[in-house]
Amino acid sequence: MFEGRLGGPGGLVSHRRQQQIRTVSLYLTAFLVSVFVLTPLYMMVVVSFQSPETLFSGGTLTLVPSALSLSNFQTLLAETDTVQYFLNSVLITAGVVVLSTTLSVVSGYGLTRFDFGGKRLVARVVLFSYMVSPIVLAVPLYIIFFNFGLLNSYVAAVLSITAIAAPFSIWLMWQYFQNVPIAYEESAWASGASRWRTVRDVVLPLARPGYISVAIFSFAVAWNDYTMVKVVLSDQSMYPITLGSSLFLDRLFVGWGEQMAVSVLISGPPFLIALFLQNYLLQGFNLGHE
Amino acid sequence: MATEITLDSLRKEFGDVVAVDDVDATFDAGDFVTLVGPSGCGKTTTLRMIAGLETPTDGRVIFDGEDVTDEIPQRRPISIVFQNTALFPHMTCRENIGYGLKIEGVPKSERNERVEEAAALLQIADQLDKMPGELSGGQRQRVALGAAFVEDPEVLLLDEPMSDLDAKLKEELRVEIQQLHRNLDATMVYVTHDQNEAMTMSDRIALMDTGHIEQYSDPETLFDRPVSEYAATFVGTPTTNVLPYTVEGDRAVRGDDSVPLPADVTDDAVRIGVRPQFLDVGGGPVSVEIDVDVIEPLGVEYVVHATERVDGIEMDVVLDDVSGLAPGDTVRVGAALDDVYLFDTDGNVLAYGLDPESPPEVEQG
Repeated sequence: MFEGRLGGPGGLVSHRRQQQIRTVSLYLTAFLVSVFVLTPLYMMVVVSFQSPETLFSGGTLTLVPSALSLSNFQTLLAETDTVQYFLNSVLITAGVVVLSTTLSVVSGYGLTRFDFGGKRLVARVVLFSYMVSPIVLAVPLYIIFFNFGLLNSYVAAVLSITAIAAPFSIWLMWQYFQNVPIAYEESAWASGASRWRTVRDVVLPLARPGYISVAIFSFAVAWNDYTMVKVVLSDQSMYPITLGSSLFLDRLFVGWGEQMAVSVLISGPPFLIALFLQNYLLQGFNLGHE
Repeated sequence: MATEITLDSLRKEFGDVVAVDDVDATFDAGDFVTLVGPSGCGKTTTLRMIAGLETPTDGRVIFDGEDVTDEIPQRRPISIVFQNTALFPHMTCRENIGYGLKIEGVPKSERNERVEEAAALLQIADQLDKMPGELSGGQRQRVALGAAFVEDPEVLLLDEPMSDLDAKLKEELRVEIQQLHRNLDATMVYVTHDQNEAMTMSDRIALMDTGHIEQYSDPETLFDRPVSEYAATFVGTPTTNVLPYTVEGDRAVRGDDSVPLPADVTDDAVRIGVRPQFLDVGGGPVSVEIDVDVIEPLGVEYVVHATERVDGIEMDVVLDDVSGLAPGDTVRVGAALDDVYLFDTDGNVLAYGLDPESPPEVEQG
């Protein structure tokens, strides 16, 4: 039954050759993907670290700079509210990460550990609401915040972004808790640990990869959000850096160098998170496939 | 101090399914009681109700005269060893074993002392600072036993703790669990589907079938005086042979063979059970002709798998000597009148032994 097959054990192509082909195609794919991803990133970095004088010297864009300069960043700090925007972003993102992660851990635990009517319906509605485009939520949320007098506040920014991030986070945590056997908790209960103590000693440590994935996801949503904050915030001093940097386009003294410099600043935190938490990211993507 | 456990009309329904059907039993303080039965017979559900992990639909769980039916597991004097060894993967073995003591607020130095004592007993002293993931299945099971043991519980519940282990490890742990029981002043309730584990370890066995206790007795009684065909065939390897007979006058007849019946049997048909070990070539008056299919050597004895000639029922015979016997041979095997069980067609026992002189004695569990 194995005759005439190209791959697999006993195929026409030797095992060693199959391995070589696999390695070569893997590196080739990785190389092509890297080119597409890294080219714009390289241009961003290389433009941001050149002074306006050297950037266009010789009539074209200098892509291999002879001298690096921090002048773009100095302009940003001195002439714009970049620092304020950046801190706003950090504040709003932190709020969303904490709120969304807490919400999803509590919901995931509740959905898997307690029996109540309409549980499946709740879970489906949660997932369905994730499929709705964020902009659909924008107007209703605007009206709600308007009625509560919350418009133009950090609270509104955090809540509106959480509304986008939470459904998927809840769904992710719900899936994760389904993979945590309840026997661990039962074992702790039998040892005399109260429900809260069990949550602290057993549930949270076991759910850690899950809620770190959720936190990373919420971070990505909140850090990159533009739509929701644009709708609920009107005071420029509360703008996160995504919104704030878009204001630069209207300023005369802001050129390509400064624009790319602020892009580098925006990319910094996600880059660091991806760098240090990539194991957790991968675990999060693998949920339900163990 | 060991606790007496009483189950009073204990019942558990999951939707339309009755998992445990009005079970009544008393497990004496300090006994090693095994709940044994095939999967789905309600043994684990019964254990979980004793632990407080399931709420009974009806009935009561009583510890030493005190109704604990509505008590949460934390407030019951129990420890559990789970089937899949629920060791916390993020704690070292030392922390795992000491977790219950930590909850109780035992100071760290005393905790360590007791953990090390338990570890020494279970031969896992050098594994204490490893994570559970680094241990073999048998070592993990020992750690789980240690965690249950170190709390000095009044009731120790074990839910199929050895089902994932290989045969040799099972034998070792079987001995260790019994030693543990001797060292521990606790009532032990052990759930298993393995009748061999039940027979070798228990003071008392509760044989379960579809939600009820079929027979609750010590192992010897369960083996020698099964209350039903189900009990007779569940316990013992190879399984008890059961053959249908018709009643003609005071004799039971099948084919050309017949055996005498006790005087008070009025049924039209009966079933006679005989353990493979009690059959012998030639043998006694309860006799049957068989075609030999396969002969399995087990070292000191042989198991002969055979087909009986009248109805084509498969039978097992355990023989000490099979010289002159080969697959394909036809041979007559028989058992003494005293060594068989008489069942009615519903599987209830009518008599132990067929001696017409002695009256049938039936003990109901």
